[in-house]
Amino acid sequence: MTVHSPQTPATLGADPGEVTDGGKRRVGVIRLIRRYPTIAIGGSLVVAVILMAIFAPFLGTTDPTSISTRMRTREPSAQFWFGTDMLGRDIYSRVLYGARVSLVVGFSVAILASVIGLAIGLVAGFIRAADAVIMRVMDGIMSIPSILLAVALMALTRGSVGNVILAITIAEIPRVSRLVRGVVLSLREQPYVDAAVAAGTRTPMIIIKHILPNTLAPIIVQATYICAAAMITEAILSFIGAGTPPIIPSWGNIMAEGRALWQVKFYIVLIPAIFLSVTVLAVNLLGDGLRDALDPRLAKQF
Amino acid sequence: MLVYVVRRILATIPVMAVVALFVFSLLYIAPGDPAAVIAGDQATPADIEKIRQSLGLDRPFLIRFGEWVWQIARFDLGTSIFTGLPVTQLIAQRIEPTLSLMVVTLIIAVNIAVPMGVLAAWKAGTLIDRTIMAFAVFGFSVPVFVVGYILAYIFALELDWLPVQGYTPISQGIWPWFQNLILPAIALGMVYIALIARITRATMLEVLQQDYIRTARAKGLSQRAVLFLHALKNAAVPIITVIGIGVALLIGGAVVTESVFAIPGLGRLTVDAILRRDYPVIQGLVLLFSFVYVLVNLAVDLVYTIVDPRIRY
Repeated sequence: MTVHSPQTPATLGADPGEVTDGGKRRVGVIRLIRRYPTIAIGGSLVVAVILMAIFAPFLGTTDPTSISTRMRTREPSAQFWFGTDMLGRDIYSRVLYGARVSLVVGFSVAILASVIGLAIGLVAGFIRAADAVIMRVMDGIMSIPSILLAVALMALTRGSVGNVILAITIAEIPRVSRLVRGVVLSLREQPYVDAAVAAGTRTPMIIIKHILPNTLAPIIVQATYICAAAMITEAILSFIGAGTPPIIPSWGNIMAEGRALWQVKFYIVLIPAIFLSVTVLAVNLLGDGLRDALDPRLAKQF
Repeated sequence: MLVYVVRRILATIPVMAVVALFVFSLLYIAPGDPAAVIAGDQATPADIEKIRQSLGLDRPFLIRFGEWVWQIARFDLGTSIFTGLPVTQLIAQRIEPTLSLMVVTLIIAVNIAVPMGVLAAWKAGTLIDRTIMAFAVFGFSVPVFVVGYILAYIFALELDWLPVQGYTPISQGIWPWFQNLILPAIALGMVYIALIARITRATMLEVLQQDYIRTARAKGLSQRAVLFLHALKNAAVPIITVIGIGVALLIGGAVVTESVFAIPGLGRLTVDAILRRDYPVIQGLVLLFSFVYVLVNLAVDLVYTIVDPRIRY
């Protein structure tokens, strides 16, 4: 953290005194929760869903893929908390295991798109010759509605979680690289970057010391939104049959299977829908909170 | 002005070229063998070879790309593998429901979202503002098919106020047509409303701090006149920008909404094409939708000059 330049937005929100010693830090956490309740609510919900996904086998679940024709489409009851689907599979178990797919896709896409987008954005921001070409390509990719881009890629590959991640990542990269490029271009005008150049600092060092720390806050915020968007896109792809293979339980798949029966057995569609919505809401709340906490200038925009 | 319009129109050509190149390249950069994937699991090597030839994968990339661009320039999007019909014909058959859905959604969403954003900005910091902003976060988080099913369940199945699913062509009367579109439009519009309401509030907050707003208030203008005549007019450019950008959400969302509400439009065509791995159809749809999106944003750029005469190019 010592390399932070004075203008780093991340340092604006927090009182430096709060993070110096242990005793004050605890007070700092409570104050942080009071100041940014959305981080607390969103964060704890996200942690709850992560724990639920990890400990799914120990939460009273049965094999989410075991078929039982005698137990088809049972309404929610003491035996089947969320009922069963038309193959007699336990929806409670499928929903809990399904959280794994959503989380893996959400986090993987957020990380991959951020890292690749960061690299592309840095190149575009620093190398004038590359900038025009890269940004035209990014404009082009951004003109393809992201769900359709993912759909087109999925039509050409075999359905697997890895390919779903790849497809959504490609659609999300331009947004990050545009963001990073914008930050780089505005930072390059800053006097302290000029000063560093004048002092003979090499470009890689300038990037590491001055540029990267400043791109971190907006990228973290953007990454949470990408995570939320990726979870929705995964569910949509699975729902329309272009996503996770049906054998793997995912929230989109459960809804896709309940589609034919939605008028009579609404719970099959409703239960995974609620889990998906609450998870996405939690990630979005976390993102809003982080945006307010990390970058007050961004917060004013929305 | 005319120079600007021409230049702006010319500027869309490289964007569309990148879109075309990218969509075309997908066949080559997709991991694995697309021909084998499209042919399906029961395909014989001869079937795969036939598909490889029909997609042109057996010929050099650049030659094939040149042919393909020439083909598109003549409004030929290729032939569907599954039905054997021209892709343009399939699209023409299905375009009306999708166009109707998107236009109705756009109108409903803008008419709800803009007043909501203005209200939130006017009452900034109050319970009304917080409620509207909470609704916006909610709108961002609840996926379109979730809203769709819940609306259909409540208003069509339980209350029986509106038709459950389906589509009535506009030629059979405005009301039957509109009735079928209300629920899908609200479901599809949710994210869009959230997006527009948020940007409206943010821009209005900024505008309301300007000196001319104080002047307008000081000379005794009504709150309504201040908000809608003075403030909203000056906040229009970012709002219109977001309305244009948000059309991408409508396009993506239409695919899902049409599945939920059994609307026989381009979204359903997309879903059918995926299930049959009918790549030429998907390729044509992606190109068409991207083209529409680029055109919408071109129109937005041109509207700026009308809304805000200060913008001169």
